[in-house]
Amino acid sequence: MSLPEVAFAILAAVAVVTAIAALLVRELVHTILWIAIFFVDLAAIYFLLEAPFLGVLQLGVYAGAVTILLLFGVMVTRKRIFSRDAATGIGPVPALLAVLTVVFVATAFGEFPAGAVSIRAYDPTALSVNLFGPNAPWLLLLGLIMLTGVSGAIYLVREGRE
Amino acid sequence: MTTLAPTGFVALSGALLGIGIFGILTRRNFVLLLIAIEIATNAAILNFVYFAAFAPSAPLGISGQSIAVVLVGFAATEVAVGLAIVLALHRAKGTINVAEVTELRS
Repeated sequence: MSLPEVAFAILAAVAVVTAIAALLVRELVHTILWIAIFFVDLAAIYFLLEAPFLGVLQLGVYAGAVTILLLFGVMVTRKRIFSRDAATGIGPVPALLAVLTVVFVATAFGEFPAGAVSIRAYDPTALSVNLFGPNAPWLLLLGLIMLTGVSGAIYLVREGRE
Repeated sequence: MTTLAPTGFVALSGALLGIGIFGILTRRNFVLLLIAIEIATNAAILNFVYFAAFAPSAPLGISGQSIAVVLVGFAATEVAVGLAIVLALHRAKGTINVAEVTELRS
């Protein structure tokens, strides 16, 4: 195994373990710590895929902003931050559906080349030219949706609303 | 130049999507529900990034990365709105357990 393959195997294992741990631990603050590790781990995978711009974006937006937002959501909605939730069962039907999803994805394996493929690296300048050129409508749409989202969020949490 | 097998990435995103779906179906706490949705969304974004890295042509790949950038923005907006709903729910009902909020059921 080459070094990138070993790195990917470790990062993938960490991603799966932290995602499962985030959903199964009983203290919400621990959940958010696990999910922070998950986001940083995905950023490392993006760096491994030679997409540094997306890696930095993942670190800034997810590991930074989203984690803090979630932590804030936990802080303001509980009396004691480290209070535990009642244990939720795993449930056979959701577990079966999750396994079925993985099996369904696994059926696509034959469509991909089995051996190693060289990774194409992109210059962040070319990415930004593409982002503001052919893909500008999507960026505009994102701006509009963010504006709508912020207006909606402010409306939901404003003072004096019952 | 780095070389990697695409099947490992497909397996990883499939597993993350499975974990996300499992979380969405089983968790009752709104914050945990949001986290499960984020895990599933991240599986989708990972798809765009690795298909861009393994794309046969450069314009195709770079478009994939552009869409991934846009998707990260969408997911961040979704968390912001979700947490506003958490705060409104906590203020109105005193709980963020989605099983207890059944006003819209007929």
